[in-house]
Amino acid sequence: MQPGSHRILDMTEPLQWARYHWQRLIGRTNTDDDERPYSYSSLLACGGKSSQTPRLAGKHRVVVPHLQLFKEEYEKFSGTYVNNRIRTTKYTLLNFVPRNLFEQFHRVANLYFLFLVVLNWVPLVEAFQKEITMLPLVVVLTIIAIKDGLEDYRKYKIDKQINNLVTKVYSRKEKKYVDRCWKDVTVGDFIHLSCNEVIPADMVLLFSTDPDGICHIETSGLDGESNLKQKQVVRRYAEQDSEVDPEKFSSRIECESPNNDLNRFRGFLEHSNKERVGLSKENLLLRGCTIRNTEAVMGIVVYAGHETKAMLNNSGPRYKRSKLERRANTDVLWCVLLLVIMCVTGALGHGIWLSRYENIPFFNIPEPDGHTTSPVLAGFYMFWTMIILLQVLIPISLYVSIEIVKLGQIYFIQSDVDFYNEKMGSTVQCRALNITEDLGQIQYLFSDKTGTLTENKMVFRRCSVAGFDYCHEENAKRLESYQEAASEDEDSAGSPSGSLSNMAKSRAPSCRTVHGRPLGSVSSNHLTGSCFALESREGASEVPHSRQAAFSSPIETDVVPDTRLLDKFSQITPLLFTPTDETVPDPPPETLYIIDFFIALAICNTVVVSAPNQPRQKVGLSSLRGTPVKSLEEIKSLFQRLSVRRSSSPSPARGKEPSGAPGASVSRLALFSRTKPASPAEGELSQPRGGPQDPDGAAGPAEAGKAARDAGVAGGTAAPPPGQPSASSLCYEAESPDEAALVHAARAYRCSLRARAPEQVVVDVAALGPLTFRLLHTLPFDAVRRRMSVVVRHPLSKQVVVYTKGADSAIMELLSVASPGGPGLEKQQMMIRERTRKHLDDYARRGLRTLCVAKRVMSDTEYAEWLRNHFLAETSIDNREELLLESAMRLENKLTLLGATGIEDRLQEGVPEAIEALHKAGIKIWMLTGDKQETAVNIAYACKLLEPNDKLFILNTESKGPGLRAALVITGKTLEFALQESLQKQFLELTARCQAVVCCRATPLQKSEVVKLVRSRLRVMTLAIGDGANDVSMIQVADIGIGISGQEGMQAVMASDFAVSQFRHLSKLLLVHGHWCYTRLSNMILYFFYKNVAYVNLLFWYQFFCGFSGTSMTDYWVLIFFNLLFTSAPPVIYGVLEKDVSAETLMQLPDLYRSGQRSEAYLPLTFWVTLLDAFYQSLACFFVPYYTYQGSDIDIFTFGNPLNTAALFIILLHLVIESKSLTWIHMLVITGSILCYFSFALAFGAVCVTCNPPSNPYWVMQEHLVDPVFYLVCVLTACVALLPRFIYRVLQGSLFPSPILRAKHLDRLPAEERTEALKKWRGPGQMGQLASKHADHSAVESERISVSDPSAVFAVMSATACAVEKGTLPVCETALGSDFSETKASGMAGPSKD
Amino acid sequence: MKRKSQDCKSRLPDNSAMKQQQLPAFRLQLSANEILSGFFATGVFCLGMGVILLLSAKSIREIEINYTEKCASCAKLREDATNFDKECNCSVSFYLPQKMEGNVYLYYKLYGFYQNLYRYILSRSNIQLVGTDVKDVRNCAPFKTSDEGLPIAPCGAIANSLFNDTFVLLYNFNSSTQIKVPMVRTATAWWTDKYVKFQNPTYQNLSHAFEGTAKPPNWPKPVYELDEEDPRNNGFINDDFIVWMRTAAFPTFKKLHRRLHRIDSFTEGLPAGSYSFIINYNFPVSKFQGQKALVLSTLTWSGGSSLFLGLAYLVTGAVTLLAFFSMMAVHLKLKERKTFFLQ
Repeated sequence: MQPGSHRILDMTEPLQWARYHWQRLIGRTNTDDDERPYSYSSLLACGGKSSQTPRLAGKHRVVVPHLQLFKEEYEKFSGTYVNNRIRTTKYTLLNFVPRNLFEQFHRVANLYFLFLVVLNWVPLVEAFQKEITMLPLVVVLTIIAIKDGLEDYRKYKIDKQINNLVTKVYSRKEKKYVDRCWKDVTVGDFIHLSCNEVIPADMVLLFSTDPDGICHIETSGLDGESNLKQKQVVRRYAEQDSEVDPEKFSSRIECESPNNDLNRFRGFLEHSNKERVGLSKENLLLRGCTIRNTEAVMGIVVYAGHETKAMLNNSGPRYKRSKLERRANTDVLWCVLLLVIMCVTGALGHGIWLSRYENIPFFNIPEPDGHTTSPVLAGFYMFWTMIILLQVLIPISLYVSIEIVKLGQIYFIQSDVDFYNEKMGSTVQCRALNITEDLGQIQYLFSDKTGTLTENKMVFRRCSVAGFDYCHEENAKRLESYQEAASEDEDSAGSPSGSLSNMAKSRAPSCRTVHGRPLGSVSSNHLTGSCFALESREGASEVPHSRQAAFSSPIETDVVPDTRLLDKFSQITPLLFTPTDETVPDPPPETLYIIDFFIALAICNTVVVSAPNQPRQKVGLSSLRGTPVKSLEEIKSLFQRLSVRRSSSPSPARGKEPSGAPGASVSRLALFSRTKPASPAEGELSQPRGGPQDPDGAAGPAEAGKAARDAGVAGGTAAPPPGQPSASSLCYEAESPDEAALVHAARAYRCSLRARAPEQVVVDVAALGPLTFRLLHTLPFDAVRRRMSVVVRHPLSKQVVVYTKGADSAIMELLSVASPGGPGLEKQQMMIRERTRKHLDDYARRGLRTLCVAKRVMSDTEYAEWLRNHFLAETSIDNREELLLESAMRLENKLTLLGATGIEDRLQEGVPEAIEALHKAGIKIWMLTGDKQETAVNIAYACKLLEPNDKLFILNTESKGPGLRAALVITGKTLEFALQESLQKQFLELTARCQAVVCCRATPLQKSEVVKLVRSRLRVMTLAIGDGANDVSMIQVADIGIGISGQEGMQAVMASDFAVSQFRHLSKLLLVHGHWCYTRLSNMILYFFYKNVAYVNLLFWYQFFCGFSGTSMTDYWVLIFFNLLFTSAPPVIYGVLEKDVSAETLMQLPDLYRSGQRSEAYLPLTFWVTLLDAFYQSLACFFVPYYTYQGSDIDIFTFGNPLNTAALFIILLHLVIESKSLTWIHMLVITGSILCYFSFALAFGAVCVTCNPPSNPYWVMQEHLVDPVFYLVCVLTACVALLPRFIYRVLQGSLFPSPILRAKHLDRLPAEERTEALKKWRGPGQMGQLASKHADHSAVESERISVSDPSAVFAVMSATACAVEKGTLPVCETALGSDFSETKASGMAGPSKD
Repeated sequence: MKRKSQDCKSRLPDNSAMKQQQLPAFRLQLSANEILSGFFATGVFCLGMGVILLLSAKSIREIEINYTEKCASCAKLREDATNFDKECNCSVSFYLPQKMEGNVYLYYKLYGFYQNLYRYILSRSNIQLVGTDVKDVRNCAPFKTSDEGLPIAPCGAIANSLFNDTFVLLYNFNSSTQIKVPMVRTATAWWTDKYVKFQNPTYQNLSHAFEGTAKPPNWPKPVYELDEEDPRNNGFINDDFIVWMRTAAFPTFKKLHRRLHRIDSFTEGLPAGSYSFIINYNFPVSKFQGQKALVLSTLTWSGGSSLFLGLAYLVTGAVTLLAFFSMMAVHLKLKERKTFFLQ
């Protein structure tokens, strides 16, 4: 490898180069050893990584810059590292044949046939001409090889495309960054990337245009998370202002060897002065991610090509065996047994036949070598001869046909127009090629919630402020008729607030345009290695789905304000401006509530404000901590850092403002009637804070203008309307979609969050102008408290205000009992609380995610005291967590309820219908979600997973008596118990009685464990569907994993077998395509068994008349071609195109799916009946001609001809009887097969005079075609052979039709009759009849009965009791204990209540 | 729709009947009436065919004369291979109760002779028999070469075991006069065999053509002297030889041997009366418990005298009609319920 070969070497280089090679030659083995002690010692010296053992120390890599200065060293270290060229293909032109053969012979079936070929070369047992036996194997191997080759070629083309992407690499020669292909990037190269470019290789970040040395990347291509991640410039370089000059870069990097751990990177950077700087994953930019919100970055490549973490994580395609194939494989074994039995019969028969003769008859000629064998030995040889002769019994063509059929099925699934999603421009993707038929047998469905059932688009729906419900009807209308494609026109036409919609209109595209770059789209999927993704992303590059800023699709951001609330809002605002407000009575407290409510919505979050296509720091006051914080640790550290700073340098405002009574704050706010710039207090407050950063108020419009200009350049969108310049260009990036929804809602009321910095938040309230809140504390959300708070100093009232938002149950308990404002206010508070509670219940019933907003005004003394304690908590080392929790509790009490919000995570289109259909199809649906219980249950109701009259067994909280239909809701912690070995049985027993199970707060691991448990214990077919990275393990564990290619990136899709764009597509995928694929394939497999057994038995019967000597009465070519050519295409066509029931009927009658669940098309009995029929047909096919020609002068091969011809017709007509639909393609193929047979036989008979001894096909067919007896024999044979099956089918159709047959019959009826019949079918009477006929332990109907009996309750009890006994976690134990003791607990706060 | 980018092709699948699996199916929309009439037609056809076939088989005159027992002494003699040069004749008389009209064929019939054993049928050389290379004996083991090392022509086990009994049929015109029934020994083989598949090497003199080859060990005479009467019926194109080389399908088989030459008193066929066969007994069958017989038979369009095909048609027709009637009953019963025969 000579990476620098294309560069001009200067004078000294050849020398160094020669020396280097010389060194390598003489000390080749030493190079590594040289490296090892170095790395090891240096690591030890570096400290902190001493855990490395000396042996492991060798697994390090040293990266030196790929520069002239380090030429020698570079060659030494980096020369051996792979470059950035990737090759995901399995084969090359040279090794294709040997390697493909090698892989194909890993299959047992192929080995078996190879064995047969070899066996035929043994002279003693030879049954065919040696070459002929090879033919089937060669054909099979060739077909598969061609298929593999084409697949590999496809990969090759994608690789090539990716390898030829262009990036900017520093060129030593030209001393600047030049464009170069990805494949030419090597370790040690310096790479310069601009915003929205894709990172070509793993590199250490050395420079970012961000003054704080931050760079944002989007990793959706890698792990599927669509929110931005933050990377940091290596510590030393962060402080540098100017770009790092690669020429001056003299450091070396030592890091661990390539590994696939995305979350780990260890190493250090050693400067020329031996000073070391540690490197962590924060410094590593990963291949395949996209640079976002950062103007430009520069880095040095440490891993390239296949050594990048992304490529190491890219596992190949999955290979699963479907249930049907497993079933078929066991039946193949039965066929082997049958074969052995037949061969033993042949061997015995031959031995007995031989021993009947006292002396050897002269027609039994001796072996070629002259001596004769004893009957026993001859019988033994005959066994093997028979195996060769009857080999076709094991259907070699079955495997090839199955593969071809599945390809055809996939082709049709993928071209189903119903799966096409216009918005995404994508359709269904079949990533696993060989489990299509499993789709027809699913019994359990495990679904993720967010993003799978729902759109993962949180939309502000309603709110209740100060006890008044604002139902936002216009907004609701907007949502109802929402079409993303048409939203802009619609909004401007129908929305009452044109300006707002304009705002959204201009903003949304500007957010979108930036990501639509071909580079970005191509590269992100190179990682996936899927060309499908490639195309879809390319196709979607113009499609604005909200990748740029998470959770900011128009549907989420365009909130149409409620007119009533807007009125109130605007009524108030002018009041505050009028200087005469003293004359006017105090505004009603409701107004204050409203203002506070929206301010809380706007600031009580961790949303980060950014402008699209703009480096973040220009909008945020300080971008360092202004980004969304990811982990709890980060939040905590941030929290701590902030607090420490605060306490060490107390805010000037704190001392200034004496404690004001909370009651006074109201009037103060009301009296505060000046515009902001005129306020001396405000000015005083904001001045010191403004400090180095731009004063936000001034910067806003300018920035917005710039952003808008940028947006205009990038996307050609219209400039924002002059009235709303600033807000229109802002993008909110939130940690959770709920937060984003609330902020957007606040903005709709012109209370928009303008900027957020660690120490202050700017909110633009329409009438008041920009308000700058000094941010004193942020108490982040956590699962225990279930709320978050911000502590701010109000710019107007100068009070310390705590704004809290959280789950209703969490907030309601903390409301202050006594209102400080006197009994009147207290009464009002109580009333508000009552009404809000009512509203909350209402929201929850509608499936909205509810949040309560409250505030608390603290006196300065209170605050000071709290701060002191809090500081103690923060600085304590032992049990800091608990202390912090306590501290937060101290802060968040005595709250005043402001209001509540209802956010809708809109269900995806068609989800309830899909779930209903799947339920009816007998599929048990479990919802596994990480969400909290209330939300999960709400969504479950909304999507009809739970019915309103279901009785919920909520393990861990409450439980109720038995009802008609049961559903189980279980939380993560309880699940932990349920998954324990001893409880698994009870748990499954319990769930078996429930129609639906909802697991909330489940971790990804638990999800996969649940799937695994159900799958392995109940031995059912499971399907898991999800969209995010947290569903990956579940998707992989299930029999079929389905990924939703939605907002959350590619991770789930990558792991899945099928990818759809929406949940509702599942119903057609399963009910129609699953049913079809399963029926088709199982019928085809059965047909293959039938065909082979029927045909091979002809040969077997003949053995009884030729002394079991292994003679075949058919020419070998005909024998081979019979399976390979004459009868192979019709079953394949049948397997691809057969349609027992039309798609419409299948969708309308989901019950039909149950036949697949019970494997009705392919039961063991079916297999044996098929074999029996095959035996019968072969008997008929053999003995009708036999008795006809018995005692005549017919010769062997002339006798074989009517047998073959009749067999061909029987086998083809059998298919016609079995198939439920015949299209012109079927007809064509069947006619083609027949023509092919006759033309072959005629041509063979005309040409083959001496060929192919001993067979004698010469002129046989020609003779027969003019012989009436031949026709008579063929007709009679076909009639006799097929009559029983045909009569059976006809009688079955009229006397005992299966549901499928009845449904098939519906298809034929005229439209009106059909609807009538459908109604009748769905009617209760019919249902009952159906159910009783096809009762099954898993059927809904039977559950209805079983649940109503007391055993269900008992099961719950015992399971719970066991959980208690077993319980080790104290929290859970108590919860369950209380549960168990008070069986009739109160209804939960949800729709189950009434 | 406006989203559809100009340069990237849409992923929207084709909405064609083929791709959406909506192709019209011409599944025979079998209604009850169609099925019933189908069954009825089939039944009637089969019955009719059966009757025709039976009648046609009945019209055939056939007589089989098993001479295994009657020539037991000859059989005994032939069991010992060393007696191959001793002639053995025996005479078998029989009475033909009815005259055989038309063409009459003489078959010999063998019982228990497995001419279809795998190694047996393999032991021949088609290349040799087609006359291209008379010395090609590749597949002929174990009868490839003679003891002197000369290639055998025709080689192989099939040729070696050629059926070599000869028959003379005498018609007892009256008590004293016996007339030799004239027989034709040609045109008993398939035309294609005689003129394409079997060819003598091209030489003026047939014996020269087979120079350098040996006769099969069991044969008394070389292949070019098979028919002393008709020199054109010699060598590989001898009809008896060709007929034998077409190996029979079953261990019990007959092979066409002679045709009645319809001249003189036999213009109409074989008259009724008593006949006798003079058999030159050469072919040993007693060693493998086989039997030999002679068959005199006429032929019709439907083949031989086997009644099987006709009976089978009759039975099938009867069963089909039975099915038809039972289905008719079911159909009539279900008709009020509006259920049809679906399938």
